Amino acid sequence: MTVGLASIAATAVLMALPPMIGYQPYYLYLLATAFVFATLAAAWNLLAYAGQISFGHAAFFGAGAYAAALSSLGGLSPWHAIGHGGAAGAGAALLIGMASVRLRGAYLALATLAYAEIGRGIALNWTAVTGGGAGLIGIPPLPIASWLPARLSRPRAASYYAALAMLLAVLALFVLIVRSRTGLAFSAIREEEERASLLGLRPLGWKLLAFALSGGFTGLAAGLYVHMVRVVEPDLVFNRYYSILPLVMAMVGGLHGVLGPATAAIGLYLLSELVLHPLAPALHQAGYALALILVVLCWPGGLTGLISGSRRAHP
Amino acid sequence: MRRRTLSPPAPLLDPRLRATIGVAFSRGDAALSFASLLQAIVSGALIGCFYALMALGFSMVLGVSRTLNLAHGELVIVGGYIGYWLWAGSGLTPLWLVPVAAATLLPLGLLWQWLLRRVPEPRELNSLVVTFGLSLLLQTVIRALWQADYRLIADPMLTASLRIGLVSLNVGRLLAAATALLVVALLWLALRHTRWGRAVRATSLDAQAAALLGINVDGATRTTFLLAFALSGATGVLFATLHYIYPAAGVELTLMAIVLAIWAGVGRLRSVLAAGVALGVLEAIAVAWSGPRWRETAVALLLLGSLLARAGGLARGMAPHGGGHA
Repeated sequence: MTVGLASIAATAVLMALPPMIGYQPYYLYLLATAFVFATLAAAWNLLAYAGQISFGHAAFFGAGAYAAALSSLGGLSPWHAIGHGGAAGAGAALLIGMASVRLRGAYLALATLAYAEIGRGIALNWTAVTGGGAGLIGIPPLPIASWLPARLSRPRAASYYAALAMLLAVLALFVLIVRSRTGLAFSAIREEEERASLLGLRPLGWKLLAFALSGGFTGLAAGLYVHMVRVVEPDLVFNRYYSILPLVMAMVGGLHGVLGPATAAIGLYLLSELVLHPLAPALHQAGYALALILVVLCWPGGLTGLISGSRRAHP
Repeated sequence: MRRRTLSPPAPLLDPRLRATIGVAFSRGDAALSFASLLQAIVSGALIGCFYALMALGFSMVLGVSRTLNLAHGELVIVGGYIGYWLWAGSGLTPLWLVPVAAATLLPLGLLWQWLLRRVPEPRELNSLVVTFGLSLLLQTVIRALWQADYRLIADPMLTASLRIGLVSLNVGRLLAAATALLVVALLWLALRHTRWGRAVRATSLDAQAAALLGINVDGATRTTFLLAFALSGATGVLFATLHYIYPAAGVELTLMAIVLAIWAGVGRLRSVLAAGVALGVLEAIAVAWSGPRWRETAVALLLLGSLLARAGGLARGMAPHGGGHA
């Protein structure tokens, strides 16, 4: 209950933030990107909730980014394009999920790593569609909602609210899933796949559902992100960065928790960009790596585990 | 020929050699002439020996500690950058730099062992997570220290080539292959015939049982890590003489090392060599057929195919019922 109230309060504060700080494009952009990463971390965590640890969310991110960019450049409205990004992410995740049914644990992780590399290779070499290594440029920004007060209707504010809405949507979906039979099925498959299937669950369908949901939100986040940065390149959107960051953020926040991964994502991203980047521009990504190593070796439970005092929860 | 804009394709064959082979080697030409096919197979086999050498460190670490080191390729690249840096600074023959690069990686070996022995169960998955972080860390450090430029130890001695009949052999590749064969032979002898080798093999088979029998498991593990890291550093220098290195070049090497571990099993030195040659030849034929653009993707596809074919049984030497003997 208190968690619910606290999250409603936090949402209200986040919604009121842009009018309070005035029009600060840089900070709005930074926060919107933090929400995008929080969505990625929550989407990654959704798949981890069903017991599948992915090292290749860059594959879903890249697929979503290219689908959104191509739709947008093809003349669709950015909102439709973002939807296409989500569909492409879900489709890629379904394909990958179906192709790796037989793999579990570490071997699934290795396979997802390979999928992300393959995606990057396709984007680099399918020049006619993807523009090859040069990528695609000139993606339009999000439209300005003219009915909003002037202060809220600037481009950066639009992406800020879109990213916040997307984050809230993925968190709400997570809560619904955790409290439903779907969540029970996911955790049964995560903890004891054989026993779950003996009890009459079909792991394949549930796993594919988890893949599709996780990939779909990753694709949506990617679609929104390309309308913020307005360029896609293979080495940008299929970067390992989008595989490793959601993993780091979810593990630091505490696997399988609802709010932990998103909170950790926002915290780590802002820490990295506002504190570490000015201190050591070349080395600021090392912060994520160190956080990951520390969490796995010293606090397997992440932030959630520290607060609740439990030290369980490993992948 | 269309080139990737972001990175020059790593030259599988050096340009002059490519020019001598001529048109038949151009991208997308399915009709390979006999000479170019032979050339591809021979150079592929040579580089394949080198791949086996490169993968040994990964396979040894996996054998003794049941951990998958995703930062393996980055470690090799660190060795390569150290070699490049010393070579560019001193102008010494690259061969003298091999031991220096090997020695530089020794402290990292101790650090990795210290970190990886603390990894909680399930060890394979958690070691992947930790070393994924370590690979990001190493890439960041490499990028900070040496920038994102492409480096190659272009020593005139190594880029020369010998012509034997239809094929021409690159001296650098010959040297790398010879080193690989020598190292594999020495390691095979050491694992077979020394006390240390028996301890390492016993540890790979079943660390608990080995410890119960009074084998110094910790010592064997530590020396294996040190040896594996020294080998990785050394292969890094050789790699930098054969290929351009850049901060993200290690990713592909890691994938190759995993492919070889799947194909050969862990600790089977002769199989690693055979698998390395097979990988090298496959790669050379693929590149000869489709051009270098698809090289990295092809390696990822190979990894995927091998994983699916083995459906998770990565290392025979790792499982208690497997055979870890060389």
